[in-house]
Amino acid sequence: MRTLLTVLALLALLGAPPAGAQTPGVTDAEILLGGSNSFSGPLAFTGEQITKFGVDLYFRVVNDAGGIHGRKLRTVYYDDGYKPQEAVANTRKLVEQDKVFALIAPQGSPPVVATLGYVEEQRVPMLFPYQSSPVTRGKKWVFQGMTVSDRSSRMMVDYLAGQRKIKRFAAIYQDDEYGKSFLAAFEKDLGRHRLKLLAAESVKRGVSDVSAQIAKLQAAKPEVLFLVLVPGPAAQALKERQKIGWKDVLMVSTGPLTDERYLALAGDAAEGVEGLSLWPDPVTSDLPGVKRYREHMTKYFPKNEPNRYSVAGYFAGMLFTEAAQRAGRALTRAALVAALESTKGFESGILPPLTIGPDHETQKQGFWVRVEKGRFKQLTDWLRSE
Amino acid sequence: MRWAAAGAGGVVLLCWPLLVPPYFVFLTSLIVVNAIVAIGLNLLSGYTNQLSFGHAGFFAVGAYVAAVLTLRAPALPVVATLALAGLATALVGLALGIPCLRLEGLYLAMATLAFGFVVVEAILNLDWLTRGNDGLAVPAARLGPLALGSDAAKYYLVLGVGALMVAAAVNIARTRTGRALLAIRESEIAAQASGVHLAAYKTLAFAVSAFYTGVAGGLFAFVVGFISPDAFDVFLSVDFVAMIIVGGLGSIPGSIVGAAVITLLYDWLAAFQNYRPLLFGLILIGCMLFMPGGIASRMAKWTHQAQ
Repeated sequence: MRTLLTVLALLALLGAPPAGAQTPGVTDAEILLGGSNSFSGPLAFTGEQITKFGVDLYFRVVNDAGGIHGRKLRTVYYDDGYKPQEAVANTRKLVEQDKVFALIAPQGSPPVVATLGYVEEQRVPMLFPYQSSPVTRGKKWVFQGMTVSDRSSRMMVDYLAGQRKIKRFAAIYQDDEYGKSFLAAFEKDLGRHRLKLLAAESVKRGVSDVSAQIAKLQAAKPEVLFLVLVPGPAAQALKERQKIGWKDVLMVSTGPLTDERYLALAGDAAEGVEGLSLWPDPVTSDLPGVKRYREHMTKYFPKNEPNRYSVAGYFAGMLFTEAAQRAGRALTRAALVAALESTKGFESGILPPLTIGPDHETQKQGFWVRVEKGRFKQLTDWLRSE
Repeated sequence: MRWAAAGAGGVVLLCWPLLVPPYFVFLTSLIVVNAIVAIGLNLLSGYTNQLSFGHAGFFAVGAYVAAVLTLRAPALPVVATLALAGLATALVGLALGIPCLRLEGLYLAMATLAFGFVVVEAILNLDWLTRGNDGLAVPAARLGPLALGSDAAKYYLVLGVGALMVAAAVNIARTRTGRALLAIRESEIAAQASGVHLAAYKTLAFAVSAFYTGVAGGLFAFVVGFISPDAFDVFLSVDFVAMIIVGGLGSIPGSIVGAAVITLLYDWLAAFQNYRPLLFGLILIGCMLFMPGGIASRMAKWTHQAQ
């Protein structure tokens, strides 16, 4: 019995993975990146656009131009269907079986949060997760993608309470990490302006009927109602407001929500709605980077419509390529992290010049838009969140 | 000869973390977790002929009880945590089993299906305890001063508990209880005529099945380290049913083989989840047409022919 226990203890000790000398995922001919993303479930469209039509689009451009220091880029993606436990299994498979060099553009707060501990422990760079909660802060191997909620909130509140002198705010939010992190940030930022939220109503995820919440919020008589929702219920909120004839309120969408899909779902109920946009309009913007993006999309995926998700993936691919170029031929995970950390004034032609600091945030800005005739019209220049 | 084979198998299982990369150790742990659920479900469906499409619900109850206990009472040894997770789930199983006594076939399937949805809703609404949609990060299980954090440690925990559960199931199947359950499957009227108390045994089957699934849920929480309601949808219940149909209804080795086949299939198909329901459907139809007794009965036939 005792020998058995000793053997077991020894086995448990030996279970730790041995440290490899060569950088995983990097050979003389190629660099392998991977990611767990939604290809089924509620965010399937977004997931496919970010990865297969975004990251991969930029990588095809790079590969056709000879790759990075002679190495071609290859990607492998697994589907987690927005389920955290599958994201854990997929991420382990990518790191331990496929031996990817880095993880690129995973999506959604729950799946990303579930894997954060593991990637930090394994020292695998997680590049530009597409989610807005600040949980990714202070992680050595993680570089946040989307503008995080507290920065979004600061831009929204400073613009509305500062420039537009609005005093009465309320919010309708999704009852999860996404909604709650925005709510906490709104309360803090309104506090700086000596204001507070008059009312806040929550919506359970997956529920699309929001009539009760809208009725309660109307009773609080806010001038501005923040919509911290996903496209389905947000469009429903706009339609409900139209139905009950609630006119003296400005509906404002958060960064993750301000997209074409939400507009299409809401139809004419979206007219006049405002919001914070994190990306330039993928169809109409004439920024040089967005034009190039559209040219590349027509060249490689002529059947795929331009949209902000593939722009986000395209930008992620661009940022990786830029850092990997600077990290040099002797590419290691630590060298990539160092290169990203020393990004200064990088001109993407899509977002304003980008400098990545020790906070590891790659997107910190947004601008104000209003819906006019079914499209987002830009009202301000890039707003500041610092 | 059989003992030697079993011994060799045991040695391989014990040394497994030394032989294969950590990812396979993790995968093997998942297989054992699923095998425990499959055995539990088989006691209900295979032995007693009570179809359940709600086992993801039991699995979720076990996982959440274990996770919340580990977070709130970190000093509790993992064995006690798992036992409590199993008992809590068994109580839920009892509560579901009693009203389900009157239901049969399709109606029972519908009731259990609804149960799965109710559990997910309950988890979402108890968000002060479960953190709702955000899910819970589960700390490493503790056994006294030992934290079972590595893949290998988790594997030995799962393997140890799994072995106990298999042994218990084999014993249940061999005793009067097991024969009573089988009698219910063959014919409820005949069983009743032979003195089997139908209501008591059906309720017992529900409770025992829930206990197994609850313990497995607790292990799952430790192995994966993160749980959220998204994990426990109706497709998971369908997967559990698929495991016992592929493996073999009413067979304990079959449950284990079925769990292994479905878990590995999931792993291989990670890149195309969209095709998974299609493929699962084909496998189930294929099994019912060509091997109605599952892999277990097919293997039994082969060994019989070989001898």
